[in-house]
Amino acid sequence: MKIRDFISRRTLLKATATASAAYAVEVAAPFVITARAQEAIKLGVLLPKSGPYAVQGENGHNGAQIAVADFGGHVIDRPVQIVWLDEANPQTSQQNMRKLLEEEKVVAVQGGISSGDVLAIMPIAERAKTLLIATGPNATEITGKNCNRYTFRVDLPNKVTVQTVYPSLKEHGKKWYFVAASYAWGIDAYNQMKDVLVKDGGTVLGADQAPLGTTDFSSYILKLRQANPDVIYVGLGGTDLTNFLKQLHEIGMTRQMPLSSPVINDSDLWAAGPDAAFGTFPKLWNFTGAHNTPRSEQFATTYQQKNGQPPEVEAWQDWFGATAILTAIQETKSTDSSKLIAFLEQHKFEGFKDMPIWFREFDHQLIQPTLVAQVKDKLVDKYNYFDIVAEYPKDPTQLDSFYGSKQEVGCSLGPI
Amino acid sequence: MTALIISQIVNGLVLGFLYVLIAIGLSIIFGMLGIVNFAHGVLFALGAYFALTLRDNVGPWAILLAPFFVGLVGMLIESTLLRPLYGKEPLLGLFMTFGIALFIEELIRTLWGAAGRPFNPPALLSGFIIWGPILVTKYRLFLLLVTVAILLALWLFLQRTRFGRIIRAGSRDAEMVSLLGINLRRVFTGVFGLGAALAGVAGVLAAPLWSVVPSMAEQSIMPAFVVVTIGGLGSFGGAVVSGLLVGVSVALTIQFWPAASSAVMYALMVVVLLVRPRGLLGESWERFE
Repeated sequence: MKIRDFISRRTLLKATATASAAYAVEVAAPFVITARAQEAIKLGVLLPKSGPYAVQGENGHNGAQIAVADFGGHVIDRPVQIVWLDEANPQTSQQNMRKLLEEEKVVAVQGGISSGDVLAIMPIAERAKTLLIATGPNATEITGKNCNRYTFRVDLPNKVTVQTVYPSLKEHGKKWYFVAASYAWGIDAYNQMKDVLVKDGGTVLGADQAPLGTTDFSSYILKLRQANPDVIYVGLGGTDLTNFLKQLHEIGMTRQMPLSSPVINDSDLWAAGPDAAFGTFPKLWNFTGAHNTPRSEQFATTYQQKNGQPPEVEAWQDWFGATAILTAIQETKSTDSSKLIAFLEQHKFEGFKDMPIWFREFDHQLIQPTLVAQVKDKLVDKYNYFDIVAEYPKDPTQLDSFYGSKQEVGCSLGPI
Repeated sequence: MTALIISQIVNGLVLGFLYVLIAIGLSIIFGMLGIVNFAHGVLFALGAYFALTLRDNVGPWAILLAPFFVGLVGMLIESTLLRPLYGKEPLLGLFMTFGIALFIEELIRTLWGAAGRPFNPPALLSGFIIWGPILVTKYRLFLLLVTVAILLALWLFLQRTRFGRIIRAGSRDAEMVSLLGINLRRVFTGVFGLGAALAGVAGVLAAPLWSVVPSMAEQSIMPAFVVVTIGGLGSFGGAVVSGLLVGVSVALTIQFWPAASSAVMYALMVVVLLVRPRGLLGESWERFE
């Protein structure tokens, strides 16, 4: 068979046209050649593009992009490029983590909403000796017994957040009902809060696990209603929480009793809408409120201009995560993970919150003040949902001990 | 305890009607046209999104208009993208609908944004009714009545009208029906449009209960496939029986072993496929055997 038989004239023409166009660009644009000399620094982003946390994934990615823009798109005279792959479940996350490291050759990876996914990729980061900044997971063990030298965490551990909301919730009574997602984060959330409650003489009326991605909670709500608890504590996030709130509203239980969870995504409440949203939650950051710093306010303004809505907390977390990586690259003039890690273990980040924040050397947890946010009684704005009712710790000198001592945390990082 | 179990069974039956509603369009399209329609989920999502936009412009009429427009989208898809594939390798149709599903989901993301959109039931239908141990929200009761009405109307249409007879005959022996001088192309387009509109109805009615996000397609397509598979591919009655069965199984699992509540429908499907591969009420059809 001759070659002509299976390459048609049309295909050939098309291929020729493409090739010559590509050639024309090379010749006509000398900048292409200079750009090649300063190879891009690739930043891997692993955030959900599908599933219950897809919205947070998109908002986190938006936040990371603003961090790159803050640096003028360049660091140490090299362009910065974000490569975003899907964090759909532990298996996909592992595959995409390897793809980022082996094919994309990223200098560091950030992201991770689901604790299950993060726990699955942490060993890969360690083996590849590459920096991983976990921006969105909350399972305590990530900076606890499962910690490693290459992983840093921006989000709050459940063990800490449960302490912030407990004092105000127990005022309403100590008979609680729990509904938690049946994976690492939800199970940990239940265990941490249950420990605090039971130690204080409270009762667990019921504790149900709900598979991640549950659409219909009506049968859970029937059980819950039957138990008639003083407080509902859920370990649900993403569309799971939205579904739960909508169905509580459907049965008329909205604002009938206090509701809390170990963490809250603004977008989950925005999706539920003003009629269905309620509760008191620990919150890492909020785009409104007196605690906000000029620098974080500037971020919120830029975000609003670019995306047409204010940033939710996950956007701030990924903005901070990318900023931390880029700062480390700039200051160390290196993309070598061991140097970046050494820098991050020592550096204090100022201006992001109302006191300096830092990654703690012995467990890599971001030590930062955190808020207790309550959904406003009357919601008029499409996005402004929260009143900040408390900030923890109240005393900046308590900040470190607030996250537990080395012994309590139980992390040993291992060598670099 | 008995009271709680009774209340869960009733809750499961009501949830089952929602599953039936989601699955019935898929079942009809498969039964009549032999197409495994992977785009069913995005048509469901389109129903919700159309209603979202129409609601702000035409008010309550959105409930009727949204499915109508989804039906039109369905007819457009059938007449342009699926028709050329009839009589060819069945896998092609499957790939095509899968591609359409991905495309429309991205389109929704582009047009309406990735963020979830609030969507509440009308104030008229808020609250619930208690009867002994049984508690049903007014909205779900409304949903049940609508579903039953749709099922009755569909059954009458397919069994008792001339069009229904043509559709049923055409699905068994297209060639013979064409020889009798009936334009089957138009019939097929109509059937696909009907199936799509039913997906749209389900989307509109599920929107006040479930998150309205672009990925809501994937949350409906799996139960739909499971229900249709358990009930018997293409069987109308089978879809109803299996939808209710799945609803009750999910509710009872949540009562006793909540962590397994999303796995239970797949377990049920596996058992049915092993014991009775053609599904509970699946008939033996010369076309599929």
